[in-house]
Amino acid sequence: MADLANILAVGILLGGTYALVSVGLNLIFGVIRVVNFAQGEFVMLGMYGAYAAYAVLGLDPAVALLVVLPALFVLGAALQRLVLARLRTEPTMQIFATFGLLMLIENAVLAATRGTAYSVPSAVAQASLSVGGVQVGASRLLALAAATLAAAGLGLFLRRTMLGRAIRAVAQDSAAARLMGVDVERIYWLTFGIGTALAGLAGCLLAPIYSLSPQIGTSFILPAFAVVVLGGLGSVLGAYVGGFIVGLTEAFAGYYLDPALKHAVLFAVFIGVLIVRPSGLFGQVGAEEVGLREQS
Amino acid sequence: MSTLWTRLRVLTAAVLTGGAALVTGAALAQDLKIGVVNPFSGGMALYGDEMTRGYEIAVAQANAGGGVLGRKIALVRGSATNPQEAIAAVEQLVGRDKVDLLSGTYVTAISNAASEAALNNGKLYWETNALARDLTDRGLPNFARSGPDSRSFAQRSVEGVLQLAIPKLGKAPKETKVWIEHEDSAFGTSIAKEQERLLKAAGVGTTLSAHNARAIDLSDSILRAKNANPDIWLSTGYVTDHNLLLRTAREQGFRPRAMILTGTGDTFETRDAVGKDFLDGILLVSYPRGDIGEAYGPGAGAFLKAYREKYGRDPIAPQAMSAFVGLKILIETMAAAKSTEYEKVIAAAAKMDKPFGSYETGYGVKYDETMQNTRALPVIAQWQGGEVKAVYPKEALAPGVTMIDLGRK
Repeated sequence: MADLANILAVGILLGGTYALVSVGLNLIFGVIRVVNFAQGEFVMLGMYGAYAAYAVLGLDPAVALLVVLPALFVLGAALQRLVLARLRTEPTMQIFATFGLLMLIENAVLAATRGTAYSVPSAVAQASLSVGGVQVGASRLLALAAATLAAAGLGLFLRRTMLGRAIRAVAQDSAAARLMGVDVERIYWLTFGIGTALAGLAGCLLAPIYSLSPQIGTSFILPAFAVVVLGGLGSVLGAYVGGFIVGLTEAFAGYYLDPALKHAVLFAVFIGVLIVRPSGLFGQVGAEEVGLREQS
Repeated sequence: MSTLWTRLRVLTAAVLTGGAALVTGAALAQDLKIGVVNPFSGGMALYGDEMTRGYEIAVAQANAGGGVLGRKIALVRGSATNPQEAIAAVEQLVGRDKVDLLSGTYVTAISNAASEAALNNGKLYWETNALARDLTDRGLPNFARSGPDSRSFAQRSVEGVLQLAIPKLGKAPKETKVWIEHEDSAFGTSIAKEQERLLKAAGVGTTLSAHNARAIDLSDSILRAKNANPDIWLSTGYVTDHNLLLRTAREQGFRPRAMILTGTGDTFETRDAVGKDFLDGILLVSYPRGDIGEAYGPGAGAFLKAYREKYGRDPIAPQAMSAFVGLKILIETMAAAKSTEYEKVIAAAAKMDKPFGSYETGYGVKYDETMQNTRALPVIAQWQGGEVKAVYPKEALAPGVTMIDLGRK
């Protein structure tokens, strides 16, 4: 029973990590209709941003958020304006462009660090709580709380604010939104900026858990795609719930079957869900085509 | 998706870099050129660079003595982060840069492809660092390895279990449980399977468990081990997965009496990630370091001094000294062969017979029929107060160094 509780806790905490990484990815997916392969690299940049804030200013990663989030928002908005906006009528080329960004960012960081695995100390990094025999790392608990707050905050923002409604309108039908007076181009760069800033949030909070390497972003991106497809393309709730499905699947498969098999099990579940419900658990029917649909 | 992913990566990498090989040498036409195949980009560039620093010191010392075969030696770099790039790097080094022979490698898979490409081009491939036993078992006629292999790492780690850890437990080997954790590529798997075989032969109880080195979470691996309650946790992995395993062990309160890391875990990267307090007492099976006892590795101190003078700091990792010694052995072998042709160099290497303790790493030279140097062994070191100290064999201990407690109760 203690084993079950322990592995359940591991799965939920891992789910929080995946949800945190995937919320921004799914926002971009849903609104701009771009399969953003570079999202993992934005998480990686967030991690290195936390490291730089620690190395230069002595800031804890939780405080470094105040610097890293605005920086990544500006970076994301600029990349959307300078790269993706110019390819808006070429959805396939947008995918290649995000892949090019992935390689560009990864290799630029590599050139700067020569592959050294840096670590970011944090006040909470070494702490863990014991609840009824279940060990819970404080860093992962923080990531879970942040994922919950980010998903809830983003959901409220999209539903309760004028800007959020405009983003949803563009997500549903960009041509109609434009006819209604929405500045669609502005919504695109704002959304990409928000999605990138959310990746920065993930990066800052996950930095104390991992040894930083330029390739760490690609370790996040494949499970993150599984999260958004399982949860539903374009759905904030889907990304949140999908994170827990992926986290729990990995944790249980890794513990009860074999750690080396957990990704095989995860993607078997992934394929099964796709066959039964192509739009994911919380996605709209037809949304699975958004990445390749021609945009106005 | 993974196939598409791989294709996209290869395609984009090729476009962005304009090819795999990077030539950084300024070799003259009359120089004896050694093509160095290593990852000089990518996540393992730190170690590809570090190994090559060892080569550079060996070449500088050889050139100061007049070079070899009447020619100065020059190194020409060929960057490879995977087998496909390794083949391209060898083609460029041989075709464009006209190297006389090739050497490397930090990664087994790169060595595997590069050495076959070297054979196709009629060149020697002199391996100094890559570990997998399969490399020599292939029987390639142009291939020899001067450094230790995966089997010697496994043997040394089992010596650590039997000679260092079990005596501290107060148990008989047959009462001892060892959890063998390993990353699931050829590197980790080959070492772990040999560890399992040797430990079973000694009557020690074992459990084998594999993990993916790029996994985001390794709590499952640690919880399985914790549930099994082993006396000794013996792990083979890369830097980032070892760091994550150790952090998770700390988080989950997993404290077996002894922890032994094979291959990595002996650099500042792990100390910074996990903290020196948790690391204290952990044993490490690794290449000999520059601070080993002079009785074991004569000249190790001089190597350390030369490294510090050339690069202005201490070595990042012990791979550099093993690479340095490997290239020294190569230069001596070429001199004995009076040639760079692989048939003659391999024949000369097969005749070499030098006892243990002939080089800075404590290595000697005696090749077996597969051209594996049987007198190249790793040492066992230990984390002590944030520093790594060689503790086994006893001849390798520097003056004033003793083994401390294993650190876990």
